[in-house]
Order: sequence, then structure tokens, then C-alpha cells
Amino acid sequence: MSFFDFQGENLEDERERIRNGGLHENEDVAVYTWGEDSYDGLGDALQEGDDDFNDETFGGPGVVGKDFDFAGQTSLLEPEISQHKTANRAVASPQDLAPVRQAEQHPPVERRAPQSLESIWDDKSPFSVLPRENGGSRFAERERGQPSISQFSPYPESPMLHQAHASQGGARTLQEIEAEMRTAAIQSRNTLQRQQSALRLQQEEEQFLQEQAFQRRRLAAQQQREREREEREMQLQALQRLQQQQVMQMREHTQHQRTPPPRMLPVSQSPRFLDQRQMLLLQQEDQLRLQQELQEQLRMEDLERQLRAQQISQLNQGPIHFNHRRQPSGPTIAELQALQQQQQQQNRRHRSQSPAYQEFNVAQQNIQMQQRLLAELAQAEYLREFQGATQAEQEALRAEAMRKIVEAEKMEDKRRNKAAKIAHMSRYNDLMTQSDKDFITRIQVSQLVTPDPYADDFYAQVYSAIVRSRMGLQMQDERVLKFGSSGGISLGAPQKGPTRRPNAMQRMEQQVERIVSNARRREEEKGLHSLHSLQGALGKTSGRSYKAAPRQLLQVDENPATSPSHAHAHAHISKEDAKEGAATEAAKFSRETLGNGGNVVRKDPLTHRQVLAILEALYDLVLKVEQLRRDRPPQEDEQAGQQWERECNEIVEQLWEGLKVMVPLETSNPHPFVSLLFPSKGKKLLPRLTRHIDQPRMLTLMTLLVACFTQLDVVKQAPLLDSLDDTPEQAEAERQTQAFLTSVLQSILPVVTKLELHYVTALLGLLIERSQDIGALAQTKPGLALLTLFLSRVEVIKQAWGTGADPIDRVSASASLEQWQAVFDQFFALLTPHFLRLFPSSRITLQAHHPASAALAIDIIDQPVWQFLAALALLAVPEQHQVLVTSLRDKVLENVLSANKGWVADEDERRTKLANVNLFLHALGLDSSQITL
Amino acid sequence: MRHNFCPLGSLIFSVFKTLTDQQVTVELKNDLSITGVLKSVDQFLNIRLDSIKVLDEARHPHMMAVKNCFIRGSVVRYVQLPSEHVDTQLLEDATRRGAPT
Repeated sequence: MSFFDFQGENLEDERERIRNGGLHENEDVAVYTWGEDSYDGLGDALQEGDDDFNDETFGGPGVVGKDFDFAGQTSLLEPEISQHKTANRAVASPQDLAPVRQAEQHPPVERRAPQSLESIWDDKSPFSVLPRENGGSRFAERERGQPSISQFSPYPESPMLHQAHASQGGARTLQEIEAEMRTAAIQSRNTLQRQQSALRLQQEEEQFLQEQAFQRRRLAAQQQREREREEREMQLQALQRLQQQQVMQMREHTQHQRTPPPRMLPVSQSPRFLDQRQMLLLQQEDQLRLQQELQEQLRMEDLERQLRAQQISQLNQGPIHFNHRRQPSGPTIAELQALQQQQQQQNRRHRSQSPAYQEFNVAQQNIQMQQRLLAELAQAEYLREFQGATQAEQEALRAEAMRKIVEAEKMEDKRRNKAAKIAHMSRYNDLMTQSDKDFITRIQVSQLVTPDPYADDFYAQVYSAIVRSRMGLQMQDERVLKFGSSGGISLGAPQKGPTRRPNAMQRMEQQVERIVSNARRREEEKGLHSLHSLQGALGKTSGRSYKAAPRQLLQVDENPATSPSHAHAHAHISKEDAKEGAATEAAKFSRETLGNGGNVVRKDPLTHRQVLAILEALYDLVLKVEQLRRDRPPQEDEQAGQQWERECNEIVEQLWEGLKVMVPLETSNPHPFVSLLFPSKGKKLLPRLTRHIDQPRMLTLMTLLVACFTQLDVVKQAPLLDSLDDTPEQAEAERQTQAFLTSVLQSILPVVTKLELHYVTALLGLLIERSQDIGALAQTKPGLALLTLFLSRVEVIKQAWGTGADPIDRVSASASLEQWQAVFDQFFALLTPHFLRLFPSSRITLQAHHPASAALAIDIIDQPVWQFLAALALLAVPEQHQVLVTSLRDKVLENVLSANKGWVADEDERRTKLANVNLFLHALGLDSSQITL
Repeated sequence: MRHNFCPLGSLIFSVFKTLTDQQVTVELKNDLSITGVLKSVDQFLNIRLDSIKVLDEARHPHMMAVKNCFIRGSVVRYVQLPSEHVDTQLLEDATRRGAPT
């Protein structure tokens, strides 16, 4: 092929010309060598196609001027250029010349038909134009099978082969490489100047300064040691070279690393995310740094060991050998430094591939600081040696230096930690703009705005109020924002501590106000539900499930034929009752007004369902009145105050009616009021209800309660409690009794504590009369409690009279006292046979299977009885005392004996027994210790 | 201005609000039981818990390292409340008020 037509003389001619400087102006033309051998083939990698309409866009092929044909001009010199290249190559490796030439495959066409570009432009044949039209693709040329026409690439080469050419062309001389490096450095520097941040520059400057200072110091030290200078300078140069390379590398790196302007970034690389990424990098860097520090320390220790070895050898050699001492003593400091540098270099090279270069810079400074300290240390050592310092001093100095290093490291560590923490905390800063936040708050708040914030957040509101009152704080501010009549928002429980952002609440209030006012305006405009647009904006709390009727599982006929009466009764009870009730109420009312009290219409007692229905109605009323009490209008507003009072009274009236206290006693057994107290719900309602009822009515209520006391479930079921066996009935009775004691008795307690003596006398008389068997009543917990209440009230009254604290009409007082004494005597006489039976411990027979703790439990439930007896003893006359003591002697002795003789399970039981007995004995003016057996 | 969360839902929300900073146990529909300090709750009964502990840690080792969590309200099956911090009577009242009359 043409390759073999190669003519050596031409080469020589070219070389001659180059020597004469004929090619100088083409020195930089290397950039435009895309048609040449050294062309790297990148142009072929371009994707070119869809050029079909280029003609329409740029105009069809016509006569083309040549005023732009620069390449044509330069191509005139092309042979020379190629010759020059080969010449260079020949210079670089003359012995390889022949193979290179062979590989180059110099085009024979060039020789045979040395067409210039101009001739191609001139060529008007369609073939010469075609490739141009098609974007000048050389592949296209080849496909058209016209290799010989194109001067640029006359061979059907494969791109691979072409690249091989390029790489061969790349085998350049050192000078060329240097030139390229220089240009690259210049370019990178230029770009750096444009793109690098001021900080980066500063950092670099500092670094440079540090390095130079370091070098300068070292140079100063070197001047003292003339002998070493040359060797050291060599090292320094090496060092500088390395440093320059570092810098260059880093600069190149920054070129790759610099971030494009934010707008051009895809979303995932927006600066915010970049921050996060940097956080990651920072963490990585931290790890790297740790490792590095470890290495550093190791290296330092190594260094020190060497230094010490040197010193030892110096000592051996003596100070005379000062100038020479470095040669035999292993590596010099500089060498070590160079070594270190090299290691760093390696690290850096390794690191520079990772994007953590920025942080690395800091680490580098760290290293340099350490190096400097190390250098100072070394220097100081020299000085010491000159002055003939002692070993100990050196040691101290070294220790000092080490300490300094460690301290510096610690400080640096601290600073970095702090920075990292701050960065960590602030990494999500400003993810949302203020308007974003406002928008979300608006939607959220709009979902929370309700027409009655208090009702919708009832539990939290009242609960927090209760908690606050329990903690002794007065009601500060309502935790509800209200906006006229249109609605408001509940703020929930108050924060415990001081809020982190107190103005957040203010801002929310403003937001809500705006929302509400907007909503109102819109409502006026449209007359529609205003917040429809925002309804469900945050999703729905309840899906279809609650709207759709629940699936019916049981197919039960509403009115089954088999038991019509029952179902009928239930279905229509309220209606009939209402009708009937109204009629009987009217009849009763008329009869009562006629003073015909004894002739009452008897009714069936209330059914459980009726009771529950009434109780629920009462609860609603109670809640309503409680709400009203909370919403008391301000004092100034006279009008509203009266209105409010009227409303309250109305509801209280309804409550009173609902309690059915005024229903005649004989209407039913149990009395409707007592029926209402059957469920624990009813028992619990009473204290809340009685709060709103005035004193006289309460007295009536209590009288009714006393009169109907035996009808109470807790009294009827009291015998169930005289057992330690755990049965559901017993548990239920226990529960109900407890509820009665805590709720019902608590609600009448304030009334009892204000009772006049004659009232107490009357009530006790009533109780004795109505209960028929007062002894049995006294054996129940509620009965005993009530009796104790009465007795202690009388005792209090008596004491008040005795001390004169309560001035009273002597005559009426003595009269009522007489009355009382009569009733009490009767009561005492009735109770006497039952004294022992009053004790649950006497009624309960302790069985083998009962646990040991049962005995103690009995003693505890005995306690109210002892209390009652004590109250009884206080009021009793001496003869009655005698009766009391004789009937209770056995009980007392039993307790004292078992306590004193150790027949008890434990100390608790013993103490309880003694306390119980003493409770009673103290009332008599005795004590258990006086009893000797 | 009627809103679409049911009265009962708002009641529960109201109750939960008073239980912030209390220890609760949330049982999820995937049988995970998480005990932790209730930090916050919203009207969807989404729950944020702090210093959590999973009931059966051996079965859920992946939860061992988790210290706090946000639970979407819809995945909650039960929440066990500390009884000493719930006023039952008040709760009854609130239920009565919430009931459509």
C-alpha cells in the first residue's frame, strides 16, 4: 500500500526546515489537528444525524465563498506539521523511528495527489459537497466509498485504529508534557480565580504561608549547617515540587468539584440537599480524620523514636562530630518530613478522589500545624544541644510540646464537634418558606375551628381546670379562643413549662382570627358553608365505615308474636308512662293541695330502664347547669345576669322535679327517689346534683332518704357483706355500698353538719319509726354510718352549747335536749340487745379456707362499729354506760387479750385491735392498758 | 361551619391531649405494642411517642434501636391509658355531651 511509498528524504527536508524555524507560527496549531494523525478521534464519537433539514435551515449548496476558510489556509501547511510531529518523535526516540513510521501509515494519496483544502472547496462535483452537507461526518464519507477524495481521512480506518494513532501521537517529549502542564495550570488557575470562593483562596493562602514559613524557618536552620545545605536544598526542591503538584491537583479537583449555579441543578441536587450531603461528607471526613490522626500520632512517635536514637548516637559520637552527625544517624528530619509529605501525598491522592476535599483542607491544616510544632520541637532541640542543655530539660520540653499538640488537637476536636452539631441541627433550616408554613397552619387551624370549642374539647378543658384547681392555681385564662358567635378554637391543656416559642401561640391566634373573619365574610357573600373548600383538606378522620349503617348481624323481629307484651311494654313504656304520669301527677297535686296526703295513688315502682332514662335526663340537666355556672356573665351586665339566673333556676327546678323527692312517700315501695339511687350512676349523680339545690330542699331530701332508708338497696343487701367469700353478688354489694357511703352520704353531710338539734331528734325518731327494726338497720354499714353521723352531730351541738361558742335560747335548748334525750333513750333501749351483733366480726364466721389476712380485714371493718359505739358512749348517761360495758365486756376483753397474748397474725392486726378497743374505751374515759387479765 | 370529624373522635382527641407526657401503650394493627411517653396527638389521632419500648423485643429486634416514633392514627388498634390520669366521671360527662341530643 501507500505506506511502502514512504520517502525518507522528505523527512530530512522537513527536519531541516524545522531547524530553521520555519514552523514556529504553527506551534499552537495542535488544537486544530482534527484531520491529522494525532487527532484523538473524539469528533467521531459525536452523535450526528437528523441533518436532513440543514439545507432548509442554513441554505442549500450554492457557491460558497472562501473568506471563512481558515482551515484551508492552515492545511496548506499540513504536511509540514505532520513532518514536524514525526521529527519530534524522531528526536524523542530515534531508534524507534522506523516502527513509528510504519505504524503511522503515511497516506500515499497525499504524496500522489497533494490536494489542498482549497481544491476541495473548489471542487463543484456533488460528491465533494455531499459530505459537507451531511455535517462533515467522516464515517459518512467512508460509507459513500470515496476514501481517496477526502484528504482528511483517506483510509477506511476503524475508530479504534484511529485512536491507536492518537495514542501514538501522544507519545510526546518531556518538553511537550511540561508545556501542556503549564497551560493546564494556567487554565486551572484562571478558572479558579473566577470560580473559587474567597474563603477557599484564603485557606490556600494560609496554607501556602504556613508552608513557606515552615520552609523559611527550616532554611534559617540550614544556614547554620553549611555542610548539609546542598543536600537539603535538593530535598526542599523536591518538597516544593510536591507541594506544587498538590496544589495543582487540588485545583484540578476543585475544577471538577465546583457546583453549578443552583438554578441549573436538578431538584435532588438543590443547595438544600447539598447541605445534607455535606453533612454526610462531614461525617465521613470525621472518620477519616480520626484515622489520620491516629496515623499521625504513630508517625510522630516513630519520629520521636528516631530522634532519640539520633541523640543517643550523638552522645556516643560526642559534640565534635556535629557537622557530620547527621550522615550516619539514619534519615534526617528533612528526609522524614519529605517522607511524611509523601505519605500525605498518597493520602491526598487517595482522598482527592472522594468529594470530601474541602474538609480535607482543614485536616491538612491540622497536619501542618502538627508538622510545624514538630519542626519547632526539632529546632528547639538543636538549640538546646548547642547550649548543652540537659537531657531532662529536653524531655520536659518534648513533653510540653506533646501536651501542646494534644491540646491543640482537643481544641480542634471541640470546635469541629460544635460545628458539626450546629450543621446537624440546621440542616433542615428553611426547607419551608414562611408562607408554606402559614398555609399549612391555616389549613390545620381551619380544621380545628368549631362552633363550640368548649363543648368539642370538653374533656381537656375541664380536666385541665380540675388539675389546675388541684394544684392550687386559679383559673388564669380560658384555654379557648372565641370569636363572637361564629366559633372558636380550643387550645387544649396549658403547657407545663414555659413554652419554647411563646409568640407561636400569638401567631396562631392571629391566623385563626383571620380565618374566622374570612370565613364569616365568605359566608355573608355566599350564604353557604364557608369552609367547604377546606373541608377534608387534610384527609378525613372517618371513612365510609361510620356513615354506612353497620351490618346487621341479628335478624330479630321488632315485635315478635311470641312475646308481644314484653316488647310492647318496653317499646311504649315511656309514652304510656308519660301520659299516665301526667295524669297521676295532676291528680296527686290536686289531692295534696286539698291536704289529702294519706290518700295517694299507688304506683308500681320505677323499672330499671325508667330509672336509667331519668338518670340520663338528670345528667344532661346537671351538665347544662354546670356549664351555665361556668358561663356566668360578668357582674356589670345586669341584664345578662338576670337572664342567666333565670335559666339556672329553671334548670334547678327541673332537676328537683326529676329527683321525684316530692312524690308522696306511699306512692310506691321503693320510693321513686330511692329507685333513682339504685344504680351506682344514680348514687354518683347525687353529690353533683345536690350542689345546686338549696338548704330547705336538701332537708326535705334528707328526710325522705331517712324515711325510706330501709328501702335502699345497700341496706337490703347488707347481709351479703357478712361473708368473706368472693361472689359476684357480694362484690357488687360492696361496690354499691362504697358508692353510697362516698356519694350519697357525702352529699347529705353538709346538711347534717348544719342540722339543729330538734331536727336531729326528729330524724332519729323518724328513722326508728320507719325502720321498725333499728337493730337490723344498725347492722348495715350505711345505717351505722348514718346513725354515727347523727350522734356525732348531737355531740358537736352539745359541745358548742357547753363552751358557749354557740349562744342559744336556754329554754328552747333545754326543751330540745329533753326531746333528744327521750328519743336517744328509746334508741338505746332498742339497740341494747344488738350490741354484739353490730360487729361484722361477730356475724362473720371465720372459716378455715379464709386467708390469714381476713382476720385483719375483719378488724378493719369493725372499726366503724367501734366509732359508732364511741359516739353512743359519749352521749349516754352513766346507767347506759353500765349497760354498754356489760354487753361489750366480752368483745373488749377478747380484743385486748388476743392483742396482748399474741394470738394475732402480725403487729398490724394487734395494733388495729387495740386501736379499735381504745376508740370505744376512751369515750368512756378508760384505756385498754388499764385492763388487767 | 360543621366539621367532619365525629364528636367521639374529637372527644378521644380531647382526652389524649390531657395525656401528653404520660406513659401510654399503643397497640398497632400489626400486633406491635409500643410503650412510650405520649408527646403529642392531633385530630387524626396520629401519635408521637418518645423513649419507646416494644412489648416483645425478641420478636421485633428491628425496633430495639428506635427511641421515638410517629404513629399514623389509622394504624392504631388500641391505646392503653394510665387509669390514674383519666377522670372517668368527666369522661362520662364528655360522652354525654358529645352524644347527639
